Amino acid sequence: MSVLQAHGITVKFGGLIAVQDVHFTVKQGEIYAVIGPNGAGKTTLFNAVTGIYAPTEGHVEFNGHEIVEPLTRWVIFKFVCAFFAVGVFTVVGLNIETIWKAVIIDNYKFGQPFPWSVAATSWYSTIWSLPLVKNLLPLCVGGGIGVGAAAVSWSRGRSAPDHIARSGVARTFQNIRLFNELSLVQNVLVGMDYRMKTGFMSALFRLPMFYRERREFYESAVKLLEFIGLGDRAEQAAGSLPYGFRRRLEIARALAGKPTIILLDEPAAGMNPSEVVGLMALIRQVRESGITVVLIEHHMRLVMGVSDKILVLQYGRQIAEGTPAEIRVNPKIIEAYLGSEDHG
Amino acid sequence: MRWRPGPIFIILALAGLLPLLDIFLPPKLQMCEAVRGVFLYAILALGLNVVTGYAGMLNLGIAAFMAVGAYAFGILTCEIYPFQLGFWPALALTIPIGAIAGFILGAPTLGLRGDYLAIVTLGFGEIIQDVLKNLEVVTKGTQGINPLPAPNFGGGEWTANDEYKWYYLFFVLLVVTVIAARNLERSRLGRAWFSIREDEIASRSMGIRVERIKLIAFATAAAIAAFAGGLSASVLSSTGEPSNYDFQISILALCIVIVGGIGSIAGVLVGSLVMVGLNSIVLVKATAWMAANGIGSQGNVLLSPNNWKFLIFGLALILAVRLKPNGLIPPRIQRAKQ
Repeated sequence: MSVLQAHGITVKFGGLIAVQDVHFTVKQGEIYAVIGPNGAGKTTLFNAVTGIYAPTEGHVEFNGHEIVEPLTRWVIFKFVCAFFAVGVFTVVGLNIETIWKAVIIDNYKFGQPFPWSVAATSWYSTIWSLPLVKNLLPLCVGGGIGVGAAAVSWSRGRSAPDHIARSGVARTFQNIRLFNELSLVQNVLVGMDYRMKTGFMSALFRLPMFYRERREFYESAVKLLEFIGLGDRAEQAAGSLPYGFRRRLEIARALAGKPTIILLDEPAAGMNPSEVVGLMALIRQVRESGITVVLIEHHMRLVMGVSDKILVLQYGRQIAEGTPAEIRVNPKIIEAYLGSEDHG
Repeated sequence: MRWRPGPIFIILALAGLLPLLDIFLPPKLQMCEAVRGVFLYAILALGLNVVTGYAGMLNLGIAAFMAVGAYAFGILTCEIYPFQLGFWPALALTIPIGAIAGFILGAPTLGLRGDYLAIVTLGFGEIIQDVLKNLEVVTKGTQGINPLPAPNFGGGEWTANDEYKWYYLFFVLLVVTVIAARNLERSRLGRAWFSIREDEIASRSMGIRVERIKLIAFATAAAIAAFAGGLSASVLSSTGEPSNYDFQISILALCIVIVGGIGSIAGVLVGSLVMVGLNSIVLVKATAWMAANGIGSQGNVLLSPNNWKFLIFGLALILAVRLKPNGLIPPRIQRAKQ
């Protein structure tokens, strides 16, 4: 079964075509590698898959369907709310003096009890006795702006990175993007955030469920750190970690959300040979726990050692796809990396 | 593990014991009344700390929300309006009203980053003053709304003479704010705020809903600022005029956060003691002392320390950024790293 399918992904930045018409399919439980010379568009491809860039053409399917937030009734309800909230706000804002005079000042005699029921009806009749340009027009214009803004922000957020991450696609970054001022455990907990359920009020008032959830997630975060071999540094700041450990922590943070697929962007960059061996073991362990792995890597020993399938990009186009054994002997790839003999 | 008092606890305990010291001091040196101002600004700066310190969004219009809170408190309590709520319900209502105001400003500005957001919030701060000034039908324009009620615990309303009662009211409300800010800081929400401050793209890629989290930060900060506004209106028994809530207040709150330590509650407490303490205790007492001894004169600007405050704020800010860029009491992790 395929967990990730890219259909004709093209990403253009102005006139520059960074990725052109890339198709690939990643099967459940595979380790899938993307290789290619520098500037081939590998990271851009990752960014297009995870929603950081919207692909100019083509689309990505996870588990057989695109990750876009559907237009549910709840979303339409939000649009209606936005219409009335902004519309009424505009009307009241424009006519606040008239309304206030009619409702409060005319009804309130100093020292006497306030006739609430009269005031409640007079506010309604005041608004409707205004000329149309002062009530219906602002309602429609303001409401239109409200709906427009809500629709724009909704359509932008439909396939945003946070939405894709929440559907079980985790990633790491080529230039490590840890939260350096947070501790290791907190970094992992950020990765777990969307699995948590407690909200603002239970945090503010420290309800029992807050403590229960905090304990649960803290324990599993420490376990995850132990799994990648950083359990004894749980309370250190992430910024104080040595380079090789940072890459491992980023992988732990990505695993924290229990994704179905994890995208690793050059996980071995800057690692020494023994760290690379450890990383290979870690990647295999991740796959054994049922998570599909897609990785970008320049380190050929790692790529050839762990991957089931390899995709080769050059100048944004895919030039080959196959098993490590096939790729190793493919003349096109040798040419891409080393240049052809003809040109000498 | 043995419990050790943290810096927040120590500062608050000292503040709670201050009136004991006052009893032994001659009237001229007593400072309870002035320390109230420190508490008020500490509450305001704790609000600013949520949005600027935790979530990393520079907000230069926090005073606008203080004005919203003060005027909401005024309209809800004053006799010239029909609502006439008591002190406590009105003060409680300033919190949701402030949150709504924060939401209204926050929602359209979510896409803005850094400097652009700062400019928008700055503009909002100015707009609110003008709105309050010109909406005379509702806000009484430059007169301000008064008189406003003080809290009432059965023994009749407090007056300005009930110095220690006011002191402990401010103190308790400050403690409540500190606890609320701390609870939010050490929760899933606080962690999400920090992650956005550190790296927005990374936290988005980890499934954090950045817009929502930012909006909550905005609304929380505005709610706390409005709470401070309501409290200040109550102690003055008037909302004062709209220009009382001007840019200087926002900048003072920002200075408190920067000097104390961005994102650190204990830092905000110390920062407000330093900044407001300088302003309303040291300089005021120094001016009074110099006047009493015939050194200073009202006519000579240079000889009345009251006029030095902006010089000193600026100097304090430069020194803080130069010598202690993380503030007097940096947040926990940064402390651990040093």
